[in-house]
Amino acid sequence: MRGGGHEFEPGLAGNPGGPARGQPSNEERRARLTPGRRPGVEARAALLWVALVAACRQALVEPCPAARLAADRAPLVASTSRFDSAFAAAGAEFHVPPTVLKGIGWVETRWQMVEGAEEFSGRPPAFGVMALRGGALERGAALAGVTVATARRDPVANIRAAAALLDAYAGEAAIDRSRSEQWSGVIVRYSEIELPEGRAAYGRAVDRAPTFAGARSAPAGAAAARAACPPPPDSGGAPDYASAIWRASPNFNQRPADSTGAMHIVIIHTCESNYTSCWSWLVNPASQASAHYVVNEDGSEASQLVLERDRAWHIAALYDCTLNRRHDCWLNGVQSNHFTVGVEHAGFASQDSFPASQIEASAALVCDITRDRGIPRDWQHIVAHGQLQPADRTDPGPHWPWIAYVHRVQALCGEVVVDDSATFNDPALASAAASGAWTASDSTPDYYGGGYRWASTRPDATDGAVFAFQLAAGSSRTLDARWTSGANRSSRAAYAVITAAGDTLAVVRQDQTTGGGRWHTLGTWTFPAGWNRVALLRRDVSGSVVVADAVRVRE
Amino acid sequence: MPRPALSLPLALLVLGACQRDEPGQRAPLSRSAASAGAARLVPPGSQDTGFAGTTSAVHRPRPGVPPRILRAVDAKVNPGYDRVTFEFTGDSLPGYHVEYTSGPVRRCGSGDPVVVAGAGRLVVRLVPAQAHDERGNAMFTERDRTLSLPAVKDMKLVCDFEGQVEWVLGVAAPGPYRVSELAGPARLVLDVRHGR
Repeated sequence: MRGGGHEFEPGLAGNPGGPARGQPSNEERRARLTPGRRPGVEARAALLWVALVAACRQALVEPCPAARLAADRAPLVASTSRFDSAFAAAGAEFHVPPTVLKGIGWVETRWQMVEGAEEFSGRPPAFGVMALRGGALERGAALAGVTVATARRDPVANIRAAAALLDAYAGEAAIDRSRSEQWSGVIVRYSEIELPEGRAAYGRAVDRAPTFAGARSAPAGAAAARAACPPPPDSGGAPDYASAIWRASPNFNQRPADSTGAMHIVIIHTCESNYTSCWSWLVNPASQASAHYVVNEDGSEASQLVLERDRAWHIAALYDCTLNRRHDCWLNGVQSNHFTVGVEHAGFASQDSFPASQIEASAALVCDITRDRGIPRDWQHIVAHGQLQPADRTDPGPHWPWIAYVHRVQALCGEVVVDDSATFNDPALASAAASGAWTASDSTPDYYGGGYRWASTRPDATDGAVFAFQLAAGSSRTLDARWTSGANRSSRAAYAVITAAGDTLAVVRQDQTTGGGRWHTLGTWTFPAGWNRVALLRRDVSGSVVVADAVRVRE
Repeated sequence: MPRPALSLPLALLVLGACQRDEPGQRAPLSRSAASAGAARLVPPGSQDTGFAGTTSAVHRPRPGVPPRILRAVDAKVNPGYDRVTFEFTGDSLPGYHVEYTSGPVRRCGSGDPVVVAGAGRLVVRLVPAQAHDERGNAMFTERDRTLSLPAVKDMKLVCDFEGQVEWVLGVAAPGPYRVSELAGPARLVLDVRHGR
């Protein structure tokens, strides 16, 4: 499942988004990453590397996504290669930073001399450390004053040809060569070579390689430091989800800094293609599209393409709350990529079913996203692309197993939700019952599931709404209640917590005039095995209503 | 018998070339050599320049078929109209929807608005389709094209994502157009009439 193979550290793989992540000391990193460094050649790189490490160290609140990421980057700037002297000489000759040449060489060939074959019609083969091909090879060779044949086979000539080409690109772009960030555009131009993984690597090099990040800007806090730290392409252990493979896409930008950029909805997609085709296209800058994640057909592999904190490009629609149970209407008209996390799935919206293993892998991923980002696991926050963009999208289609899927996301995150409607409950674990005095409604938004039930308070009422949950063994659980709020609600709605044995553990009062659409903790108790329950009572003085929407049971 | 074996493919090539390049063909789904030949007989200068066309949406869904790969797009001026040809690998076309839009056009991934020249925006949506291969390589590099034809000023690929390819054509004025299907190779042909 691991794609890369270089310097992945299993011991650091756990919980990449969490604060308790393991992280080797900077001393350990330097010791591991700087064998035989040549100060004369690498002085600039070393300075940048120190700046990067310093930036990462400044990120006390939000450390680098994983320390191994910085470690894995290091060969770009800190390891020696047998071509170092050629990088240095060509860099000096053509006024191109040797680190740029060395970085491109690493991304392209891992510093190997290659002789490419024509992989398919129309794509010329690549040659040499710098993987020059086609017109770029011809132009670079001419500029360097060598023949194409020599530039193909001789490493020094190959590197000089690449340097000459970059020199020409830099001249045409009129960049300030002393400013490392200005080389980004030149490298992007070099990346026009059709090599998807190489393109992705270039995107990363442009945006994040330590070669540039350290000098790009004075690190402005944790965000800047974190932006400098993600891993190289194709390594195992994606920055936000350790069991995914990191295949960086250049197709992203920053989320807005204001409240419209706060991520709080996960969008479920289908690729309309197979897995490899899906991610390899989405890491190609030509696609102008991406997603944060892609899950493969059988769930045995997932790729992360864009950091969760960045704005991936997976949905064209502007947000319309009427398509989402009138949730968060203040976001109407906001571009939906701003505040969403996109999860693609290999397959088609038209398929009749989805493999259980794919659903399971996706649910585990979405559990992780929602847990790390504080996103509620409900029907307003885990939604279909086609739901928010019905004009021209249907994915993931009518056969995505929504109810079971959301239940699985919840279960993997240690929770069961009991809705007032059986439609949204797993009958093996959750059940609700209410008398005819309880009226079903969906007129106030931000309910769980398809709506809620309400009833008027009465002094003599005995028919509470009951939310029951099954436990296989006696254990402790925390219960939360949810309602839709309004001025006519009871300010002291009574929730009775009753065990499977019939013992009432507590009666907890909640003010339902406010706080609608959110979970409110009732308390934590130890329950026996069997069907335990929470009853929302309506026995009270007349004149208000109580709202039974859902109860959440969590470990 | 090498000569016949060679000449047949050659003849097919020539025929295919004629089919592809001959302007003003009217025959939809001209799969046979006969219909292609008929089209070839239309002499230059006497093209069908006065076709009525439509300014309404043209909708031809093909749900459930595998994605078609758009491998080339060509735009040319003809007497009386501009012709944009969408060529696909294989023998089959995807579904399509062609329509003038008054609303904003956005890139389907980023949601960024896209601006085209001219007073009309003609959207060509191809579903299921893609303009890249299975390895994630674009089938062609020109995805934003400045044409400066009499009717079609430019055209931009605004979507190649999740089995949907969408172009928006900047048209001088939202005038009549017609859509036809050609075979060998599969092509969708869009003719946009020049203004009066």
